Amino acid sequence: MEEKCSIEPIVDSLAPDSALQKKHISMLNRLNARHLQKSNSSSSSTGPNSIQSFLDKFSESKRSIESSIECLQTDFTINGSVPQLKLDLEKISSSIAELEKFVAESSYLLPPYEVRAAMKAISDVKDSVEKASGKLLPRKKFSFRNKVTKKDCGGNLVRKVEQIKGTDPIPVERSTIVNDSPGFRNREGATLVKDFRISEENMGDFSLCNLNTCDIYLKGRFRALFVYNIRNSRVFVGPVLGSILIEDVEKCVFMLASQQIRIHEAKATDFYLRLRSRPIIEDCKGLRFGPYKLFYEGIKEELEDSGLEEDTGNWANVDDFRWLKSVHSPNWRLLEEKEQEGSVSISDIC
Amino acid sequence: MGLLSIIRKIKKKEKEMRILMVGLDNSGKTTIVLKINGEDTSIISPTLGFNIKTIKYQKYSLNIWDVGGQKTIRSYWRNYFEQTDGLVWVVDSSDVRRLDDCRLELENLLKEERLSGASLLIFANKQDIHGSLKPMEIAKILNLDAMDKTRHWEIVGCSAYTGDGLLEGFDWMVQDIASRIYMLE
Ligand SMILES: Nc1nc2c(ncn2[C@@H]2O[C@H](COP(=O)(O)OP(=O)(O)OP(=O)(O)O)[C@@H](O)[C@H]2O)c(=O)[nH]1
Ligand SMILES: [Mg+2]
Repeated sequence: MEEKCSIEPIVDSLAPDSALQKKHISMLNRLNARHLQKSNSSSSSTGPNSIQSFLDKFSESKRSIESSIECLQTDFTINGSVPQLKLDLEKISSSIAELEKFVAESSYLLPPYEVRAAMKAISDVKDSVEKASGKLLPRKKFSFRNKVTKKDCGGNLVRKVEQIKGTDPIPVERSTIVNDSPGFRNREGATLVKDFRISEENMGDFSLCNLNTCDIYLKGRFRALFVYNIRNSRVFVGPVLGSILIEDVEKCVFMLASQQIRIHEAKATDFYLRLRSRPIIEDCKGLRFGPYKLFYEGIKEELEDSGLEEDTGNWANVDDFRWLKSVHSPNWRLLEEKEQEGSVSISDIC
Repeated sequence: MGLLSIIRKIKKKEKEMRILMVGLDNSGKTTIVLKINGEDTSIISPTLGFNIKTIKYQKYSLNIWDVGGQKTIRSYWRNYFEQTDGLVWVVDSSDVRRLDDCRLELENLLKEERLSGASLLIFANKQDIHGSLKPMEIAKILNLDAMDKTRHWEIVGCSAYTGDGLLEGFDWMVQDIASRIYMLE
């Protein structure tokens, strides 16, 4: 249902070169053709029935794999050896590969927790095969590996993984690049305002970094927002065309609109959001979520241009990546109506 | 004949290639896959797990595994190494702060023996964002020159947003894999 065909012919502003442009147009044509093909043949069922049938099929295959492993082990304990051990192990590994593919193909129609649980289950089964084979094939450890011999195009080169020089990392020359990117950094007790409508920098990203007890207002549209290490601050932002990444914030209030948001290591912070997709949190505690209520003149048009005119209600559909169970995560909750801030108007701030 | 070589034979006949897409969260992996496949890219949630897409590309059938890059999920990447012909490492060229993380994760991945034969395509994504780093700069920070000399690799600047560079990258990778698997016996 989410799939809409929207392959608008994009004018390629970065490459005025005509050969490139031709290539680009031919790609779009190819993509279009492919999409038509697909939508003609798509008739997937995504009801609760298909989820149940996935779960049934999954647990059946998983059980059968587990019992094959057990059988091998029992045989081994009783007889001291298994005649066709290698073949059996290979069979098991190929069933696991199949099961994995089955999960992957179903993952579009499954709720996130089922996908995660299935991934974990497969990972566990793989571990137990590895363990079993370590015991049964004591000399040469069986592992899931790609045994195809590689030939280099050049001919006789043989690969050695150990040659990778990962041990002496070259220090990144940060000073030359880091400060180039636009943003507010290393401030305390300040009011920081940026208006992208007058600065014509709205094709770029923006960073908020190392701020304490600040009020931050970003008006107008831009492409991406990075937030890192903020304390006791209030942050109000107009529509972001792409994604927002937030890491390490505490005791803050954020009012944000964007296509995507990822929140890592946040504590005791409120988020008022408007999003096109589900917000995700990882390693967070004490977060509260509510709807976007920012106002300044022109924001309505900006939201429309960003595909954010409607409140999708996604601000309430938080996925906690650290929380595997289907009962509610203890790390976040919704703000009740009476706890929420009223609309925030920042028209006069400049 | 071992089972894996049988699988290999079948793969060969169907001209199938297995591609693994990894990289830090937010780098644009899912967007790239959907864009290449001609789908809407305006509503994509961070990947809580993984997706698989089979895409016809030239005369090959690409089996693309797109695995989520959030920290919690990175430990599952190893589940997908098996039989990988092509590895696509996606970088958000505007996320300067996390390029160190990005380099460390890539280094770890390349130590993996099961991936040692895979062609490596590095996408320096989000080139449409003004001020993002150029592919050459990314190559330097990721220390790509220090890579094992036998590895086939290429870095390509791209934008999943405009589509620029995507075909260039996939063209290189598919050619490279084909020349290893389908032409040399
Ligand atoms: N401006 C711009 N934004 C991009 C580009 N590619 C992806 N994005 C945005 O970056 C965000 C992350 O994209 P995803 O495709 O979800 O990233 P991912 O690598 O799959 O992330 P995980 O699933 O969490 O690992 C989205 O908001 C995209 O719209 C690009 O080339 N340019
Ligand atoms: Mg993804």
